[in-house]
Amino acid sequence: MKTVQTAVEVPEHLYKMAGVLVKEGWFRDEKDIFSEAIRRFLDSHRSELMEKYILDDVEWGLEGND
Amino acid sequence: MWNGALKGMTEKLKRVVCDAGPIIHLDELDCLDLLGEIQEILLAESVWNEINHHRPLALPQSSLSLIRCPQKYPTGEQLCTMCRTFSLDSGEIGALAIMENNPTAVFFTDDTAARLVAEQMRFKVHGTIGILIRSIRQGQRKPEQVLNILKEIPLKSTLHIKSSLLKKVISKIENQFQL
Repeated sequence: MKTVQTAVEVPEHLYKMAGVLVKEGWFRDEKDIFSEAIRRFLDSHRSELMEKYILDDVEWGLEGND
Repeated sequence: MWNGALKGMTEKLKRVVCDAGPIIHLDELDCLDLLGEIQEILLAESVWNEINHHRPLALPQSSLSLIRCPQKYPTGEQLCTMCRTFSLDSGEIGALAIMENNPTAVFFTDDTAARLVAEQMRFKVHGTIGILIRSIRQGQRKPEQVLNILKEIPLKSTLHIKSSLLKKVISKIENQFQL
Protein backbone atom coordinates (compact mmCIF):
# COMPACT_ATOMS: atom_id res chain seq x y z
CA MET A 1 0.00 0.00 0.00
CA LYS A 2 1.33 3.38 -1.01
CA THR A 3 1.66 5.71 1.94
CA VAL A 4 2.26 9.42 2.43
CA GLN A 5 3.97 11.20 5.26
CA THR A 6 2.13 13.87 7.17
CA ALA A 7 2.79 15.76 10.36
CA VAL A 8 -0.13 16.32 12.71
CA GLU A 9 -0.45 17.50 16.28
CA VAL A 10 -2.54 15.32 18.54
CA PRO A 11 -3.55 15.89 22.15
CA GLU A 12 -0.93 14.48 24.50
CA HIS A 13 -3.37 12.27 26.37
CA LEU A 14 -4.47 10.58 23.12
CA TYR A 15 -0.87 9.97 22.15
CA LYS A 16 -0.17 8.47 25.55
CA MET A 17 -3.22 6.21 25.29
CA ALA A 18 -2.02 5.05 21.88
CA GLY A 19 1.39 4.39 23.40
CA VAL A 20 -0.15 2.16 26.04
CA LEU A 21 -1.83 0.02 23.35
CA VAL A 22 1.48 -0.31 21.53
CA LYS A 23 3.30 -1.19 24.73
CA GLU A 24 0.74 -3.87 25.50
CA GLY A 25 1.30 -5.35 22.06
CA TRP A 26 -2.10 -4.63 20.50
CA PHE A 27 -0.57 -2.59 17.69
CA ARG A 28 2.85 -2.51 16.05
CA ASP A 29 3.29 1.23 16.54
CA GLU A 30 1.40 4.49 16.98
CA LYS A 31 1.20 4.96 13.21
CA ASP A 32 -0.92 1.80 12.95
CA ILE A 33 -3.33 3.20 15.50
CA PHE A 34 -3.70 6.56 13.83
CA SER A 35 -4.18 4.94 10.42
CA GLU A 36 -6.88 2.67 11.84
CA ALA A 37 -8.56 5.61 13.59
CA ILE A 38 -8.64 7.65 10.37
CA ARG A 39 -9.95 4.68 8.38
CA ARG A 40 -12.78 4.19 10.85
CA PHE A 41 -13.62 7.88 10.84
CA LEU A 42 -13.72 7.98 7.04
CA ASP A 43 -15.88 4.83 6.97
CA SER A 44 -18.55 6.52 9.04
CA HIS A 45 -18.23 10.00 7.54
CA ARG A 46 -18.83 9.30 3.88
CA SER A 47 -19.75 12.37 1.88
CA GLU A 48 -23.02 10.96 0.58
CA LEU A 49 -24.13 10.00 4.09
CA MET A 50 -23.37 13.45 5.50
CA GLU A 51 -25.26 15.02 2.62
CA LYS A 52 -28.24 12.71 3.12
CA TYR A 53 -28.47 13.63 6.79
CA ILE A 54 -28.37 17.36 6.06
CA LEU A 55 -31.07 17.03 3.39
CA ASP A 56 -33.18 14.87 5.74
CA ASP A 57 -32.87 17.69 8.26
CA VAL A 58 -34.04 20.25 5.72
CA GLU A 59 -37.16 18.16 5.07
CA TRP A 60 -37.79 17.72 8.80
CA GLY A 61 -37.22 21.39 9.38
CA LEU A 62 -39.69 22.40 6.70
CA GLU A 63 -42.36 19.79 6.99
CA GLY A 64 -41.41 17.25 9.60
CA ASN A 65 -43.66 15.59 12.08
CA ASP A 66 -42.38 16.26 15.57
CA MET B 1 -41.32 38.48 16.48
CA TRP B 2 -42.29 36.44 13.44
CA ASN B 3 -45.69 34.88 13.98
CA GLY B 4 -45.97 33.15 10.67
CA ALA B 5 -45.77 29.65 12.06
CA LEU B 6 -47.17 27.16 9.60
CA LYS B 7 -50.58 26.22 10.91
CA GLY B 8 -51.06 22.63 11.88
CA MET B 9 -47.37 21.88 11.66
CA THR B 10 -46.09 23.34 14.91
CA GLU B 11 -45.59 21.19 17.91
CA LYS B 12 -43.38 21.62 20.92
CA LEU B 13 -40.74 19.00 21.55
CA LYS B 14 -41.11 17.51 24.99
CA ARG B 15 -37.87 15.70 25.58
CA VAL B 16 -34.61 16.03 23.69
CA VAL B 17 -31.24 14.42 24.31
CA CYS B 18 -28.50 16.66 23.01
CA ASP B 19 -24.96 15.98 21.94
CA ALA B 20 -22.51 18.87 22.34
CA GLY B 21 -22.40 19.81 18.65
CA PRO B 22 -25.84 21.38 18.18
CA ILE B 23 -25.60 23.45 21.38
CA ILE B 24 -22.12 24.68 20.46
CA HIS B 25 -23.13 25.45 16.88
CA LEU B 26 -26.40 27.16 17.81
CA ASP B 27 -24.56 29.25 20.40
CA GLU B 28 -21.97 30.26 17.80
CA LEU B 29 -24.85 31.41 15.60
CA ASP B 30 -26.65 33.23 18.45
CA CYS B 31 -29.54 30.81 18.08
CA LEU B 32 -29.48 28.87 21.33
CA ASP B 33 -32.89 30.34 22.12
CA LEU B 34 -34.38 28.03 19.48
CA LEU B 35 -34.14 25.24 22.05
CA GLY B 36 -36.11 27.32 24.53
CA GLU B 37 -39.45 25.71 23.71
CA ILE B 38 -38.23 22.21 24.61
CA GLN B 39 -39.55 21.02 27.95
CA GLU B 40 -36.54 18.89 28.88
CA ILE B 41 -33.07 18.87 27.36
CA LEU B 42 -31.07 15.99 28.74
CA LEU B 43 -27.28 16.33 28.69
CA ALA B 44 -24.82 13.62 29.63
CA GLU B 45 -22.09 14.73 32.02
CA SER B 46 -19.43 14.48 29.31
CA VAL B 47 -21.55 16.53 26.91
CA TRP B 48 -22.03 19.17 29.59
CA ASN B 49 -18.28 19.32 30.13
CA GLU B 50 -17.53 19.46 26.40
CA ILE B 51 -19.91 22.40 25.92
CA ASN B 52 -18.41 24.20 28.91
CA HIS B 53 -14.95 23.65 27.49
CA HIS B 54 -15.76 25.10 24.06
CA ARG B 55 -18.45 27.65 24.97
CA PRO B 56 -18.06 28.42 28.67
CA LEU B 57 -20.86 30.99 28.70
CA ALA B 58 -23.41 29.01 26.72
CA LEU B 59 -24.93 26.94 29.52
CA PRO B 60 -24.72 29.41 32.44
CA GLN B 61 -26.31 32.20 30.39
CA SER B 62 -29.03 30.13 28.80
CA SER B 63 -32.57 29.86 30.08
CA LEU B 64 -32.99 26.39 28.62
CA SER B 65 -34.59 23.57 30.57
CA LEU B 66 -31.36 21.64 30.90
CA ILE B 67 -31.07 18.45 32.89
CA ARG B 68 -27.56 17.25 33.68
CA CYS B 69 -27.49 13.44 33.68
CA PRO B 70 -24.82 11.21 35.23
CA GLN B 71 -22.46 9.68 32.68
CA LYS B 72 -23.54 6.15 31.79
CA TYR B 73 -22.64 3.54 29.22
CA PRO B 74 -25.36 1.85 27.15
CA THR B 75 -26.43 -1.54 28.43
CA GLY B 76 -27.95 -3.06 25.29
CA GLU B 77 -25.64 -5.33 23.36
CA GLN B 78 -26.48 -3.89 19.94
CA LEU B 79 -25.95 -0.29 21.01
CA CYS B 80 -22.75 -1.12 22.90
CA THR B 81 -21.35 -2.91 19.88
CA MET B 82 -22.16 -0.05 17.53
CA CYS B 83 -20.66 2.53 19.89
CA ARG B 84 -17.43 0.54 19.86
CA THR B 85 -17.53 -0.20 16.14
CA PHE B 86 -17.89 3.46 15.25
CA SER B 87 -15.47 4.59 17.95
CA LEU B 88 -17.91 7.14 19.31
CA ASP B 89 -16.55 9.58 21.87
CA SER B 90 -17.68 9.77 25.47
CA GLY B 91 -20.21 12.54 24.79
CA GLU B 92 -21.92 10.63 22.02
CA ILE B 93 -21.89 7.42 24.04
CA GLY B 94 -23.31 9.21 27.08
CA ALA B 95 -26.04 10.79 24.98
CA LEU B 96 -26.96 7.47 23.37
CA ALA B 97 -27.09 5.83 26.79
CA ILE B 98 -29.69 8.43 27.78
CA MET B 99 -31.58 7.75 24.54
CA GLU B 100 -31.58 4.07 25.37
CA ASN B 101 -33.63 4.89 28.47
CA ASN B 102 -35.71 7.54 26.67
CA PRO B 103 -36.34 6.01 23.24
CA THR B 104 -39.23 8.34 22.42
CA ALA B 105 -37.05 11.42 22.91
CA VAL B 106 -35.46 13.20 19.96
CA PHE B 107 -31.69 13.06 19.69
CA PHE B 108 -29.86 16.15 18.44
CA THR B 109 -26.37 15.54 17.06
CA ASP B 110 -24.20 16.83 14.23
CA ASP B 111 -21.89 13.83 14.27
CA THR B 112 -22.43 11.52 11.32
CA ALA B 113 -21.28 8.38 13.10
CA ALA B 114 -23.45 9.05 16.16
CA ARG B 115 -26.39 9.72 13.87
CA LEU B 116 -25.74 6.51 11.99
CA VAL B 117 -25.83 4.56 15.23
CA ALA B 118 -28.94 6.40 16.44
CA GLU B 119 -30.80 5.69 13.20
CA GLN B 120 -29.86 2.03 13.42
CA MET B 121 -31.47 2.06 16.85
CA ARG B 122 -34.54 3.69 15.27
CA PHE B 123 -34.19 6.82 17.39
CA LYS B 124 -35.47 10.11 16.00
CA VAL B 125 -32.39 12.16 15.27
CA HIS B 126 -31.74 15.62 13.83
CA GLY B 127 -28.99 18.21 13.69
CA THR B 128 -28.32 21.94 13.75
CA ILE B 129 -29.50 22.58 10.19
CA GLY B 130 -32.83 20.93 10.95
CA ILE B 131 -33.25 22.94 14.15
CA LEU B 132 -32.54 26.19 12.32
CA ILE B 133 -35.01 25.48 9.52
CA ARG B 134 -37.62 24.14 11.93
CA SER B 135 -37.59 27.55 13.62
CA ILE B 136 -39.52 28.92 10.62
CA ARG B 137 -42.21 26.27 11.06
CA GLN B 138 -42.32 27.02 14.77
CA GLY B 139 -42.66 30.76 14.21
CA GLN B 140 -39.41 31.46 16.04
CA ARG B 141 -37.62 33.04 13.07
CA LYS B 142 -38.66 34.54 9.77
CA PRO B 143 -37.52 32.69 6.63
CA GLU B 144 -35.26 35.66 5.76
CA GLN B 145 -33.59 35.46 9.15
CA VAL B 146 -32.90 31.76 8.78
CA LEU B 147 -31.50 32.38 5.35
CA ASN B 148 -29.04 34.89 6.80
CA ILE B 149 -28.09 32.51 9.60
CA LEU B 150 -27.42 29.72 7.09
CA LYS B 151 -25.21 32.07 5.08
CA GLU B 152 -23.26 32.93 8.24
CA ILE B 153 -22.45 29.30 9.07
CA PRO B 154 -19.01 29.23 7.39
CA LEU B 155 -18.03 32.51 9.07
CA LYS B 156 -19.43 32.11 12.56
CA SER B 157 -19.74 28.42 13.20
CA THR B 158 -17.56 25.34 13.48
CA LEU B 159 -20.29 23.19 11.91
CA HIS B 160 -18.83 21.14 9.07
CA ILE B 161 -20.82 21.47 5.86
CA LYS B 162 -19.44 21.62 2.35
CA SER B 163 -20.18 24.88 0.56
CA SER B 164 -22.01 23.29 -2.39
CA LEU B 165 -24.41 21.54 -0.01
CA LEU B 166 -24.97 24.71 2.00
CA LYS B 167 -25.82 26.51 -1.24
CA LYS B 168 -28.29 23.74 -2.05
CA VAL B 169 -29.93 24.13 1.37
CA ILE B 170 -30.11 27.90 0.98
CA SER B 171 -31.62 27.48 -2.46
CA LYS B 172 -34.30 25.14 -1.06
CA ILE B 173 -35.31 27.72 1.52
CA GLU B 174 -35.36 30.50 -1.06
CA ASN B 175 -37.61 28.43 -3.31
CA GLN B 176 -39.85 27.25 -0.51
CA PHE B 177 -40.55 30.79 0.69
CA GLN B 178 -40.15 32.54 -2.66
CA LEU B 179 -37.32 34.75 -1.39
